[in-house]
Amino acid sequence: MTADVETISGPTPARQSQKEATRQRVVNAARELFDTHGYQGTTIREIARHAGVAVGSVFTTFASKGEILSQVMQARIDPLYAELDRVMPHLHGSTLDRLRTMFAVHIAFEARHMRLFLSHIAAAYDWTLSPVARPYGADRRLMDVVRGCVEKGVEDGELRADLDVADVVTLLMAAYAWTYRLAITSNADAKGLIAAMDRQLALIVEGLKPTA
Amino acid sequence: MKHISPNLVAADMPVRAPTRRALAKQQTRLKVLAAARKLFSEEGYEGATIRDIAAAAGMSTGAVFANFSDKSDLFREIMSDDMEVLNTAMRDAATRGRNVEDAVLKVFMAGYTFYKSRLQLARAAFSVSWDRDGGPTLRGLPSGMAFVDLFTEQLNAAVERGELSQEAEVKLRSQMLFDTYLSNFAQAIFEGWSLDALQTRAREQIRILLAGARRG
Repeated sequence: MTADVETISGPTPARQSQKEATRQRVVNAARELFDTHGYQGTTIREIARHAGVAVGSVFTTFASKGEILSQVMQARIDPLYAELDRVMPHLHGSTLDRLRTMFAVHIAFEARHMRLFLSHIAAAYDWTLSPVARPYGADRRLMDVVRGCVEKGVEDGELRADLDVADVVTLLMAAYAWTYRLAITSNADAKGLIAAMDRQLALIVEGLKPTA
Repeated sequence: MKHISPNLVAADMPVRAPTRRALAKQQTRLKVLAAARKLFSEEGYEGATIRDIAAAAGMSTGAVFANFSDKSDLFREIMSDDMEVLNTAMRDAATRGRNVEDAVLKVFMAGYTFYKSRLQLARAAFSVSWDRDGGPTLRGLPSGMAFVDLFTEQLNAAVERGELSQEAEVKLRSQMLFDTYLSNFAQAIFEGWSLDALQTRAREQIRILLAGARRG
């Protein structure tokens, strides 16, 4: 009985798939524009035009520009985390080695679309963000992987037992995010960013070791 | 930066009564800056338009453009003015530090205290600084670079005092201290962290960043 009512009043499968197609086109168009013009340089109007849809239909799916970007980034990064979840448990070596590998994988991935990633960071400070949007920093997965690395280091006795793991995670995350400023100030590529991150990681991990 | 602060003019130039025209121009500038500061804080960088700023200042957009080449020029000027004031406050705070860690912590806290009442302006600045077009100019402001220099001076002095080792990698550490200082603004802006909470976290972060450089 209830099922019948829903079938009648709910969207038909055809309309549903049309809506999904529009959504996909908007996300694709937005990815390209954010990657070429940055976050501030892209408007919803342009995204609609680039996607070949009406501005109104963009707004039926997304509340704001920031929300579109969140979707773009999430769709992009899902496969990376699937891969990381598979690989991380089997990663050997010291805490420093594991952190270096993990961040290098991220940087190599993000640097392929550097401006898109910079947009992602900039959007974290956007005024008009709706609560649904997930700006950079709000996605817990990266932090979870980092926390896993640090906790293992503590368990193995490699790092100080009295560390405040949450503080250490934010310190590492700050180093990671701010490394990307090199892409802005000196046009650094993935290689340059990874080298800079490696140095910073060495310095931080050195400060996490038990004092002899 | 072509703008010269009134104090600087007073100090460096021979005393001569400014023409009425020059005074009026200075008045206009100050009015525009005050209106722009308010709007950037309320609407963010993107949301504030020159048209709205002009209206809030009670003048035409033409009058605004006669003083500032564009919105980014206006924004840079505001940030630059603030950073100069903050730099002085930070230097002052550093002199009260009992040791290098304490001095660095006091510099951090001078910044968080300064921006406590200007968090929305800081938020606008972060958003601009991550833009590839606006970012380099904002990040390259001499008054901005002076922050990293201040950390460098503190670490170098600590090396001289023997508090930190000769191989302290001062350049990298200074940059990381500055980055860490900036990154904590996210908690202040979005999670309403108190100065006390920021201080507790910053103290631990500074300890970690300097631990490897400690002597012995």
